[in-house]
Amino acid sequence: MNTFNRCIARALIVCTLGLSLPVPSLAGIVTTDQITAGAERAQVRSFLDRDDVRIRLQEFGVDPAAARARVDALSGDEVAALVGQIDQLPAGGTDLLTVLLIVFIVLLITDILGLTHIFPFTKPMR
Amino acid sequence: MRLPATPALAGVLLGACLLSAGCATPQLAALSSQLPATTPERSELTAVPFYPQEDYQCGPAALATTLVYAGVATSPEELMPQVFLPAREGSLQVEMLAAARRHGRTAYRLAPRLADLLQEVAAGTPAIVLQNLAFGFAPLWHYAVVVGYDLPREEIILRSGRTRRLVMPLATFERTWARSEHWAMMALPPERLPVTATENRYVESVVALERVAPGAARRAYQAALERWPDNLPARIGHGNAAYALRDLAGAEAAYREATRRHPGAADAWNNLAQALLELRRRDEALAAARRAVDIGGPRLAQYQATLQAVSESR
Repeated sequence: MNTFNRCIARALIVCTLGLSLPVPSLAGIVTTDQITAGAERAQVRSFLDRDDVRIRLQEFGVDPAAARARVDALSGDEVAALVGQIDQLPAGGTDLLTVLLIVFIVLLITDILGLTHIFPFTKPMR
Repeated sequence: MRLPATPALAGVLLGACLLSAGCATPQLAALSSQLPATTPERSELTAVPFYPQEDYQCGPAALATTLVYAGVATSPEELMPQVFLPAREGSLQVEMLAAARRHGRTAYRLAPRLADLLQEVAAGTPAIVLQNLAFGFAPLWHYAVVVGYDLPREEIILRSGRTRRLVMPLATFERTWARSEHWAMMALPPERLPVTATENRYVESVVALERVAPGAARRAYQAALERWPDNLPARIGHGNAAYALRDLAGAEAAYREATRRHPGAADAWNNLAQALLELRRRDEALAAARRAVDIGGPRLAQYQATLQAVSESR
C-alpha cells in the first residue's frame, strides 16, 4: 500500500474512532501497560502506531491475519520502537552459506589480483 | 607473487579490523572481576535441542531451540509465520521477544553484559544472541543460541546455523555480539526468574507477557512479587491478570493487597472499585472509587468515569 493510501486509512481511523469511542469508555481498570508506560501515551496514537506497523508487516510479505496477531503480541513500547523503522532495524537472518560464498568471492578476487594464492586454478593478473 | 602480497593482505585485514572499530574486547578483559566467585569454570547445556537452519531462517530456528527447551511443543516451521519477515529475509528483535510471549513464556532481555550471559547459561537457561558476523557498514545479522562456555580456554559454545556445536573464541564472539549492542534474550517458564534479573527489567517483561498470556503472566507476577514484594506495577498487574482471566475474587485480593502496601496508589483503588462493582458489592466499590478520585493524578478522568459507573449501578 502506498503512502497516499496509508494517509487515507489513518484519516478514516481517526474519524471512526471519533464516532465509536465516546468518553465513557474510559471507565474500567487501569491496565498495567498504562502504569509502566510512564508518560501517558494517547490511546489514539498507540492505536494508529499499531495499525501502521501491521500495514508495514503486510508490505514485507506477512499475510494479513498473521500480521494482526503479530502486532497484538507487541508491547506499546515495542510498537513505538518499530514505527517508521522496520526497514532499518537489524533483521537477523544470515544464511551461513552466504558468508562462505562472500569469503570465497573475496579470496577469489584477491587471488586474481595476486594478493593471495589460495585456489590452485586461479592465474594472477600481470 | 606470494611473498610481496603478504604485507598487503595484512594491511587489508588490519584496515578492515580498524574500520569495524571492534578490535577491543573490554567485556572479556573484565570478565573475571564481574563473574561471581561461585560461577563454574565451564558449563554446557547439552540437552538443548538443535534445529539446523534453513535459508535465512536463523530467527525461527533459534527461537524453537529455546522454546522447546523451555517446555513448549513447537518447531521452526510453526514459528516461521510468527517472526519471519519475507521481504527482509530475517526476523526483527522485538518480534523474537513477542513470539516467545505468544507461547506463554517470559521473554527477558538480558542486560548487555557478557558476565550476565554466562551466568544464565551456568544457571541452566540458554540465551538467544544477535550477532553481526561481518562489519558495521555491511552487516550480516545472525541469531544463535548460547548453550555453554569454557573460561580457561576462553571459548563460548553455540547452536548456530547448520552447526550443532559451534565453538567460538570468546573474543570473536564479543566482537560480533557487540555490533548488536550486546542483544540477548531468554524464553523462560513463567515461574522462573533469571538469576541476573533486575526489578524493572523483569517486571516490564511480565507486563508485555500479560497482554497475550494473562494466565502465564499471573504466575510470573507471583514469582516477581516473591522477590520484590513492594513492586507496585507487579502488584497491580497480578490483579489485572486475574481480572483478564475473569477471576474477580482473585483480582480483588490482589488489588486489596496493593492498596494495603501502597495506600496512595490511585490506580490500585480504581481497579479495586471496578472489580468490586462487577462483584456487585456497590458500597465497597463506591468507597474505593472515591478514594481513587480523592488521590487523583494523571488518570483522574478515568477514576471519575469509574466512580460515575459505580454511582449509576444498582
